Order: sequence, then structure tokens, then C-alpha cells
Amino acid sequence: MKRTVIPFGPQHPVLPEPIVLDLILEDEKVVEAIPTIGYIHRGLEAMVERVEYTEMGFVVERICGICSFMHGMGYCLALESIMNVEVPDRARWLRIIWAEISRIQSHLLWLGLGADAFGFENLFMHCWRMREEILDIFEKTTGGRIIHSVNRIGGVKRDISDSELVAIVAKLDELGKAFDKTAKVFASDASIRHRLSGVGVLPMEDARAVDAVGPMARASGVRIDTRLTGQNLYDQLEFEPVLETAGDCLARVVVRMREVRQSIDLVHQMVEKMPKGEGLPIETKVRGMPSGETFTRLEQPRGEVVYYVKANGTKYLERFRARTPTFANVPAMIKLVKGCDLADVPNIILTIDPCISCTER
Amino acid sequence: MANPFRLPMAPRTIRNLFSRPATRRYPTETRQRFDGARATIKFDVETCVYCMICARRCPAAAITCSRDERYWAIEHLTCIGCNVCVEVCNKNSLSMSTDSKSVHTRAEVGPEGQRPGHEEWHGAAPGPAVAKASAG
Repeated sequence: MKRTVIPFGPQHPVLPEPIVLDLILEDEKVVEAIPTIGYIHRGLEAMVERVEYTEMGFVVERICGICSFMHGMGYCLALESIMNVEVPDRARWLRIIWAEISRIQSHLLWLGLGADAFGFENLFMHCWRMREEILDIFEKTTGGRIIHSVNRIGGVKRDISDSELVAIVAKLDELGKAFDKTAKVFASDASIRHRLSGVGVLPMEDARAVDAVGPMARASGVRIDTRLTGQNLYDQLEFEPVLETAGDCLARVVVRMREVRQSIDLVHQMVEKMPKGEGLPIETKVRGMPSGETFTRLEQPRGEVVYYVKANGTKYLERFRARTPTFANVPAMIKLVKGCDLADVPNIILTIDPCISCTER
Repeated sequence: MANPFRLPMAPRTIRNLFSRPATRRYPTETRQRFDGARATIKFDVETCVYCMICARRCPAAAITCSRDERYWAIEHLTCIGCNVCVEVCNKNSLSMSTDSKSVHTRAEVGPEGQRPGHEEWHGAAPGPAVAKASAG
């Protein structure tokens, strides 16, 4: 049969970020997809050579506008492990509270975009309206809605007072109730089921074979989550990753919906367990220059992210590299797109929650 | 399979018909900014000693400063609002304001080719006390 090549992207209505997939079609079926990336490469790795390591954290945060908090946190964790800095307890708890809130924010954003991709714009607006509440929490506590700039090597810049923490938890509870109503729509609406159920199935063996990470792998039943390693105080929390077994687009939506509820529950636990009181230290002064190399792992909303840092005793780092979750999920995406209908391609690509800004840095 | 005649979104949609809008009539009605929100850098030309620390530490290279010409300038469109310059300033000449500047347009490009978002200050020439100190 004669083959047709249809370019998907770099500008496409469902995907605000630039990635190109050359879809090779036979009739309406995709037989091959060839990705091209590099449209928003910003040269972060070269930038470390001229921005001091103390300020680089604020640049690293700008890798991506959705998981910006965790990028900053990962960078600071890497530098702290090189320089053997002991971070005060309260700062460590504050960091993971912000991290979980940013996970809720990211998933709400994605659920909205997902709803928009399958043509449910009403639902998209409801998801983003809830996300706005989270952005207000961020602006109130960190000073920035999207880019928080609150992480610093040695701790965090701002404290959240105990009364405000209680208010945040109450606000999240309220948000959880509103979210449950929206989640019911995702779970029971017939058009959503018809559009997503059984589409883009990634079996568990395949997910392992292509090394999928994050909600993508968990929707296929792979029990993989960096938080399970117990780093960053997660060993003190009751935590069990959300797993689904179907591995289709609907399962990936359901995993993220359940993770929103789980994150609200985790914030509850964190606020209960963190050390309380006014005037507790939130920052350790860092002196000297970093020397050595390390790598750090974190569970971002989209999956595992790895930071590699090499320092040579000067104020400029020698090497900095971030392997982001979308980069790890691109092989899975290509695998899913092969053999599907052309009309399902946008949905499948969106359900991996692609962040091209992260991937290309 | 879900029942195709069920409309789980319908109750919320009907409620939205009668509830207040979630949006604001921007720009006539603006949102109150929270205390401590980071928006625009404010500069006090009177207290600055042109030590250039802010320009050196700025991760976005948005600040230009010259000690000899007593000149300080910021590109607001390059500034990433990280607050580093405010923290390192020894003279408290810099502060972070919570109101963000309005959107910059091409119409702002001045006749001298000034860029949108560019703001600059020229300090007074150093007084006699300073001149004496530098001479000694």
C-alpha cells in the first residue's frame, strides 16, 4: 500500500509545545512515527559555565513552568550532597509540602489539557479553575505563581507559619471535595470512556522494556516511584504508589486523578509530622566551593528525574545535566503511536504528559 | 460500559448558569496581590554606591551597572524576579514591589531606539567627600 507522511507538530492544536512527529500512514493507520526534537533547546548545560552555582538554581527552575519547584529542589539537593550541607528539618518538610502541592497543580493542569484534547472544554475550564486555587497558595507562600524561586542551597528562603499551614490544608480539603465531583465526570462520562478506553494500551512487559517512568508506568501496573526509596523524608510517611493495570489512555487519566487525592493526603501527613514552632531554622549558611560529582533522583509529577552535577572547586560548575521524565517516556510514546489510528494520536501523545521544555532544556 | 444517557457534567453546568462568574473584568478590575509577591524591581538612585554586586550576581544578566559613569539600568523583560539582587544589596537600594508593570509594547520603543522594559538611572557625580577618599 502507498504510504503517506503527515507531520504532527511543531504547532498542533492539542499540544502547546513544539515536537514534531512524522507520522507514516498506511490508510488511516500509523505504521511508523519519527520524532524530531530540538525546537526549544536553551543551552542550559553551557550556561552553568558562566552563572555562579549559587544563582544557577534560579535558572534551573526555569527549565519548565509546571514542575519548576522540583527542578529547583533537585538542583539544591544535588549541590547539598556534594557540599555535605545539613539542611534544617523544617526546611526539608517545607520543600516536600511544596513539592506535593506542585504535583497537584501539574496533574490538574494536565487533566484540563487532556479534557481539551478530547474536546471537553467545559471540563478543561473546571480543572484550571481548581488549579488557580493552588497557584494562589503558591503566590501567597513563595511569592511567585509559577516560578517560585524559594529553594536555595542549604534550605528554603521563606517559612510558612503554622497557622497558614493549617489554612492551606483546609483549602486543599475544600479543593479535594470540588475535585471529587470533577473526577466523577472523568470516571463516568460516556464520551470520555469511548474516546479513551482501550486506546494506546501499553502492557506491563512493554512498559518495563521501554523503561517508562512515572504515571505512565504506574498506569501499566509497574510499581515504580522514586518516593518509594524513602529519600527526602518520604520514609516517614504512609505512602503506596497508585497503580492501575489496564495500561490504556483511561488508566493514565485515572492514575493522575488518584494521585491528586493521594497528594492531598500526603500534605495532611506532612503538616502533622513536621516540627512546629516559630523561629525554627530554615536555612544553613553555605560556605566554600563545591567539588566532586553526584546525581540525585526525584519523583516529579511526570516521573523520575535525574540530575547529574560535577563541580571542580570553582564557583562555576563543570557539568550539569538533567534527565527529565518526558525524555524517558518518548520511547514508550513512539511504541504506542505505532499501529494506532490517526485520530487517536493526539490523545496518546497527551496522555504521556509530554513536557518538551523539560526534555530539551 | 457507562450509560450514554447519563450526563455527569449537567448539574455543574446548570449551577454555573446561575452562579457568579469565576473570572474578573480585567483590566478594570484587578486582583489584589499577596504580600511578598515578587513582581518588579524598584531602584533607589539616592542610596546606590554602584558597587556592581547586583549586576555580577544577576543570573539573567538583566542589570547593567557602571561605577565610573554612575549608571544603573535594568531590563525588566529579561529580569526573572528571583530576588537575588535585592538580597545581595548592601545599601538596600533595591526592593521588590508587588505590583507588576503593565505589558510592554513596541510603541514604547523610543526615538533613541530604547528597548521596551528598559529603565535606567544616572546618579549625581560623586561628592567632594568621596572624591577626597578616592584621592587619598
